[in-house]
Amino acid sequence: MSAGTGRPLGAEVAGVAEAVAAVAAPVATDAYDRSGWAARWRAHDWRLIPGEPTAPLLNMALDEVLTLRVGRGERPPTLRVWGWDRRSVVLGRFQSVRNEVDMAAAAREGVQVVRRISGGGAMFIEPEGAITWSIFAPEAIVEGMSFPESYAFFDSWVVDALRELGVDAWYAPLNDITSAGGKVGGAAQARRGGAVLHHTTMAYQMNVPLMLSVLRIGQEKLSDKGVTSAEKRVGPLRQQTELPRDTIIGHLTDHFRASYGLTDDAVTPDEVAEAERLVRDRFGTDEWLYFLP
Amino acid sequence: MHGEYKTPGGKLVVVDFDQAEGKLTGVRVSGDFFLYPDEAHADLAKALNGLSVELSEGEIANTVRLGLRRDAELLGTSPEAIAAAIRRGLAAADRRPGQADGAPSSRIEL
Repeated sequence: MSAGTGRPLGAEVAGVAEAVAAVAAPVATDAYDRSGWAARWRAHDWRLIPGEPTAPLLNMALDEVLTLRVGRGERPPTLRVWGWDRRSVVLGRFQSVRNEVDMAAAAREGVQVVRRISGGGAMFIEPEGAITWSIFAPEAIVEGMSFPESYAFFDSWVVDALRELGVDAWYAPLNDITSAGGKVGGAAQARRGGAVLHHTTMAYQMNVPLMLSVLRIGQEKLSDKGVTSAEKRVGPLRQQTELPRDTIIGHLTDHFRASYGLTDDAVTPDEVAEAERLVRDRFGTDEWLYFLP
Repeated sequence: MHGEYKTPGGKLVVVDFDQAEGKLTGVRVSGDFFLYPDEAHADLAKALNGLSVELSEGEIANTVRLGLRRDAELLGTSPEAIAAAIRRGLAAADRRPGQADGAPSSRIEL
């Protein structure tokens, strides 16, 4: 797919595996009454942690640490943009390694396989190919909402921001951001300690052959899809916007800031130290990765 | 044994298991579904291990539903989908008698 695009050979490309595994059903987002949503967002004093290249295991652990700290009131509600320092496959909490990944191919291609704390599907990540962020909020922000409504709520500002970039985007329950040009991204949530973690990955550009060499995408997963070619279902944002990745991320955070307020922040040394301990004790262990072999 | 079921418009559930003396053993339920809280995942294997392979899909589904803790939220898949994956795994094993781990050849469909 790189032929003729003018990208340098070996350019970093990435994709969202879920984008391949799930086609967005054309369900209207406005199945929910959004009238109270802005007030829920504005009731909090939001912090922004910008993305820096980060090891995949540390990304997993930071999500847990920041969720618990927001739950305990030790950190204000936070939007964290992710950075990556290498290729990675991020498995959902309940996925089986063997069913999802060709581990030999992953090792050959320098792809680190990790497991996150939220459910959902595998993501195939290359550092410049994905746009990922996490929202950490007290569970009260979604009080009275069903789980499906809370998914739509947490990604509603992104859908609005994408529309401002000219992407005809909408939310497709349960957990997809999709568009007229194809699926854009997928979200997952974890809840613990009185806080919600909602994280979303969007495809910026995809290396489908590399992704398919590492991920196993079985026929059953595609059984309710009308299309057999994985590539057709995804609408990576580079292709849809012709904007640099950093420009899109900047627009997303600007939109959040203008809508709900956002104060620049960073992870504290203490938070990083706690996350590094969790990498050693849990996320980096075989017991965690092979929880479901 | 291995069975999969993709809920139309939803998520994939995969069940890997063995069988011994007509019962499910070593059951592992995986997939890209969502389940809250995390600990409820253990309820699935607990409900399924030891079940007779002769139970109907509906009986398996009801057992899973009753085995899940009261506050569990299963999204994208369902007890029915898990039961369907198990039935498919058993059916596939029956079609490969050499690999069926002693599955009775005259298993009765209820």
